[in-house]
Amino acid sequence: MRLRDIGTFIEERTSLGAAAASFLDARVPSGAWVSRVLASAVAACVGVLALTGVALMMAYSPAPQSAWASVHYIEYVQAHGWIIRGLHFWAAQALFVLAALAILHGTFVASYRSPREIMWWLMLVVLGLTLAEMITGGLLPWDQRGWWGRVVEANIVGMAPVIGGWIGRMISGGPELGALGLVRAYTAHVVLLPLPLVLALWGQRAMARRHGWAPGADSKSAPYVRLLGSSALVGAMVVCGLFAVTGWARHAPLEAPADGMSDYPARPEWFLMTLYRLRKFFHGPMEFWGTTALPGVAAGYFALLPWIERRLSRAVAIAGALAVFGGAAALGVLAFRHDAGDPQYVKAHAKWEKQAAAAIELAKGGVPPDGALAMERRDPELRGRDVFDKHCASCHVLGDLGDGKKASASRLDGWGTTAWIEAMMHDPDAPEFFGRGPYLEQMPSVDVRPKKKPPGEAWKPMIRSDAERKAVALFLAKEGDEPSDAPRPPVDPKALAEGEKIVSDRCTTCHLYKGDGDDEGSGLAPELSRYGSLEWTRAQVANPATATVYRDKALDPAMKKHMPRFDKDLTAGDIDLVARYVRSHGRSSSL
Amino acid sequence: MGDDVNPNRRGALRVLAVGGVVGCGALAVPTIRFLVAPAAGGGGSGRWVKTVPLESLTEGEPKRVALVSDHRDAWTLEKQVELGAAWLERRGDKVVAWSTVCPHLGCAVDRSPTGPGFFCPCHDSYFDAEGGRVNGPSPRGLDVLAARVEDGFVHVEFQRFRQGTPDKEPVG
Repeated sequence: MRLRDIGTFIEERTSLGAAAASFLDARVPSGAWVSRVLASAVAACVGVLALTGVALMMAYSPAPQSAWASVHYIEYVQAHGWIIRGLHFWAAQALFVLAALAILHGTFVASYRSPREIMWWLMLVVLGLTLAEMITGGLLPWDQRGWWGRVVEANIVGMAPVIGGWIGRMISGGPELGALGLVRAYTAHVVLLPLPLVLALWGQRAMARRHGWAPGADSKSAPYVRLLGSSALVGAMVVCGLFAVTGWARHAPLEAPADGMSDYPARPEWFLMTLYRLRKFFHGPMEFWGTTALPGVAAGYFALLPWIERRLSRAVAIAGALAVFGGAAALGVLAFRHDAGDPQYVKAHAKWEKQAAAAIELAKGGVPPDGALAMERRDPELRGRDVFDKHCASCHVLGDLGDGKKASASRLDGWGTTAWIEAMMHDPDAPEFFGRGPYLEQMPSVDVRPKKKPPGEAWKPMIRSDAERKAVALFLAKEGDEPSDAPRPPVDPKALAEGEKIVSDRCTTCHLYKGDGDDEGSGLAPELSRYGSLEWTRAQVANPATATVYRDKALDPAMKKHMPRFDKDLTAGDIDLVARYVRSHGRSSSL
Repeated sequence: MGDDVNPNRRGALRVLAVGGVVGCGALAVPTIRFLVAPAAGGGGSGRWVKTVPLESLTEGEPKRVALVSDHRDAWTLEKQVELGAAWLERRGDKVVAWSTVCPHLGCAVDRSPTGPGFFCPCHDSYFDAEGGRVNGPSPRGLDVLAARVEDGFVHVEFQRFRQGTPDKEPVG
């Protein structure tokens, strides 16, 4: 009774009920079910995008320092974030495909024909806006693919005559893609593009109420509410499909944080691979026209289909549309196949996939306020590895870095372990130690008679038993231990003491131990106290020619291909990171 | 609506149009100027950045070196960060520097996998050991950056150039 009173109260003042009744009960053309299903699926995708989009806005932060971190937070930390972002991502892909399908199907059933020209154009507008949404959305994670994609896109626009440079700067928010470029893309993505997209969909539907979706639609009619019901059914199926794909894919793509200094091999999103490939056919001044005018002509062709059919024939209209779709698909496939068959690209791509996985793991512990890139640059695993790759791997080998056939300095797998030290003492001139570098024949084996020693001359090995060798190796390995290292199984203190005694008595003929030794004054064999510790490693990288590491002769020009000092090339921070990387990977691997 | 309404409508529309033009126009001027402000560009001069010691470069062996200086991005000022990079190659007591930014569309140029020279992994532009264009879509050779040696250190003028044009046009 009371509820009805409220209803009457509202109805008397707004007439909403009567308006809804006449809106829903009106009989509308109900034929052309395929077109209707496609239109409903498009609308459902837009609905999912709007809903998940607003949800994502509640957690996303559009600034270079925080964009990647917030997307990572949504995807990997926030409860159900991966579902929301996954639905958003897949709904976008589906919308693009469905809008393209609607156009292809519309060409076959001639839904561009009078009186549906404006509906037809609105469908083209929907596809165009979807493309623009996907392009602006691609930048928002501020990851490698998005960032490099936008740099290239802005430069493509920049090739346009006269105003190109200006438009490029408008997109990037300045001469270089930065904070303003990101906020611009974001504003376009959440306000400027969705508004006309929704308006276009609304306009299509308003006209479809009168004309139906395609020729022949008015052969049947039904109350509008029935059409809405079937739309809802299609929508429910689309949502189920999106959930299924999201669950199957588990995570929507997120690459490593954007790094303008990196050697990332930029590729556009999949739906732009066609244009990417098209670029190969046009060089020089033709490039801009070839890659923007040609798609423009294709879009114009579809817009003019009503007249093309009238002037020429239906067969021509369909043939042209098929040529555009077929050509686009073929070029896209060619581009992907080319990349898949290019070992250089495959290798670079794999490297960046690894980097992305590492950054994603690292960020789970929290991202510092200066951003994900700064986080990467402070991490031994990422930055240390990068520094090693660029500065050390030309001579050293460690794990998958460096070339074992070309290496002229010690192999660092196992460096700091007793096994490495034992093998090194036994055969210092083996190719994985000094065999191919300037220290060849500088260190004698501790237990093998030198070949050059004339027969008969007295020779006494420095190490006389396995127990002694193990004691020395244990002692030296332990010298490098840091409190942060994984704890070592308990060691025999007697063996340790014996090792120290041998090192300080016998090895100091050439080496230093705690600053003493080198009786012959060679200045060549390194200090052994704290050998392999973090401080020792840092000092060795910074400048080998210091008393605490390899000492004065280390940089002697006569020592061809000697290890250079890096303290002028690298910051103290990078030296620390590469030292940490070498220690942790050396100690956790074996020769 | 009857025809008799039209004169009224015409008058009302006129008021609406004048009001709309004045109001929107007044709003549009600062709004548009606000929006296009970041796009104000034109050639700028570069910034000299101290890099690595000359001795760390090998004759005939280009080395990728980071250009570290303060970086301003809208409201952010970052101290001593990598602004960009340059390929440096020692030639006696002098150094040649090339921007790592591909003159085609701005990807990062790398050493060529097939021999001396450089290549861009995005659209396969190849450059010779002097940075000259060999083949691929790049409209010009690699952009040479000014470089000088001072107190044993290589100083490079950090500068960006417009992409995709045959002429080397400074920007930023």
